[in-house]
Amino acid sequence: MKNTIFIATIIFGLFAFAKADAQTKKDRDQFEVQVDGLGCPFCAYGLEKKFKEFKGIKDVKIEIETGDFSFSYPASKNLTMDAVVEQVKKAGYTPNLATITRANGAVETNAKETVAIKQGNLTNSELYVNGKCGMCKARIEKTVSDLPGVASATWDVKTGMLTLEHDTSLTTKKAVANAVANAGHDTKTVKSDDATYDALPACCHYKRTK
Amino acid sequence: MKHIIMVSLMVIAFAKVYSQGPPITADKPIMLGGGSFTMKTLTEIRNTERGTAVYAPVMLHYLPTSNSLVAIHLPYINYDLADASGSSFADMKIMGKYQFYRKDGMGKTFRMVAKTLQTLPTGEELDLMELSTGKYSGYYGVVAGLETLKYGISSEIGYNSMPDGTLDEFRTKLGFGLPLLKPVYPNNQLNLYFEYTSSWLHERDWYQLMYAQGIQYARKNITFDLALQLPLVQDMPDNRKFNYSLFLGTRYTF
Repeated sequence: MKNTIFIATIIFGLFAFAKADAQTKKDRDQFEVQVDGLGCPFCAYGLEKKFKEFKGIKDVKIEIETGDFSFSYPASKNLTMDAVVEQVKKAGYTPNLATITRANGAVETNAKETVAIKQGNLTNSELYVNGKCGMCKARIEKTVSDLPGVASATWDVKTGMLTLEHDTSLTTKKAVANAVANAGHDTKTVKSDDATYDALPACCHYKRTK
Repeated sequence: MKHIIMVSLMVIAFAKVYSQGPPITADKPIMLGGGSFTMKTLTEIRNTERGTAVYAPVMLHYLPTSNSLVAIHLPYINYDLADASGSSFADMKIMGKYQFYRKDGMGKTFRMVAKTLQTLPTGEELDLMELSTGKYSGYYGVVAGLETLKYGISSEIGYNSMPDGTLDEFRTKLGFGLPLLKPVYPNNQLNLYFEYTSSWLHERDWYQLMYAQGIQYARKNITFDLALQLPLVQDMPDNRKFNYSLFLGTRYTF
């Protein structure tokens, strides 16, 4: 009997802990910012330190190779996009794409407006782009997203396939291939020049095909 | 022995008081977020034909904003020279930096900083350049650097003016940093540094070109630095020639 009560207490305790944890996560907004200028791990420390000024910040993660910075913050404090972007600037770095996923499921982003893109012209395309790591992913997606008429771009590290939604009257697949080649990544139709490829960080030196 | 104990104490004292991972004998253009303090020490054991000096500064750097810095250096010196020996407070220094250019990219940044270093005559008149002169001097320069995840390059050019002395100097520095471990965060870095310092004291017509080989171990907000500086070119009186400098330091950011 004593053992049963003991086990029941532990199970109840674990259940209560899991519920409290789930509740805590539910009450927090999730933030993701791509930050330029993190040239060394100390820069990442400077960024984290500046954000520690936001009391209540948790789950801080910084992928130094891609500049992907994420954290969670109490939803009740309603931290704004402007405040986040401004804090990155105060830390001495350059904020790019930032996304907030609110505790209630709403998503906010500072991505450029895409209203100029004619919805009727949007086409889904796929393109093989050579690359090998998370840093390649960030570079390829940023390069393609910055092109006019591109509504979304996602590159898969494992398959090398770039999936994009774009207005073909503004940006063709060939233009996309040229843009990623200029950023150092080969496609089946356009090769990057050797100097650009050589200038990529060591982790991005994918195996080139002739 | 006395020197070794003193240096060991300085390193241990700051082992729990953290830092960032810039060059060792050169300077850096990156400032680590506004509103932060860095406490550091970089003890120099300098051996010349004139004798040996151990210079142990305590440096407190404060960044009011992400592009400006003010600092105070409070140094202690122990010297055993041909013409003098003893221990005393050395020349206090006040530094200011302002970042006027910044270009960021993914995993890299290029920055330029204007820098001034005001040396106050609080030390003995030992004629030890940058350590203890007992005379006022003002240094004005520009620091530029490119920091990437693969390597770091830092450079500096400047002029030191000493109105009541003869240590007016054109100074240039060039440093290369090479991380030996994959860059990760939180930090766990082992960095190699290759640093050159050129110094021309035109009033005395002295010239020195020095090379420093450094190694640095860095964690999240603390670094440990070790560098050996040797002369490559020396055009100065034999009794003042530089033999070597050993740098030992640690830095902590809070």
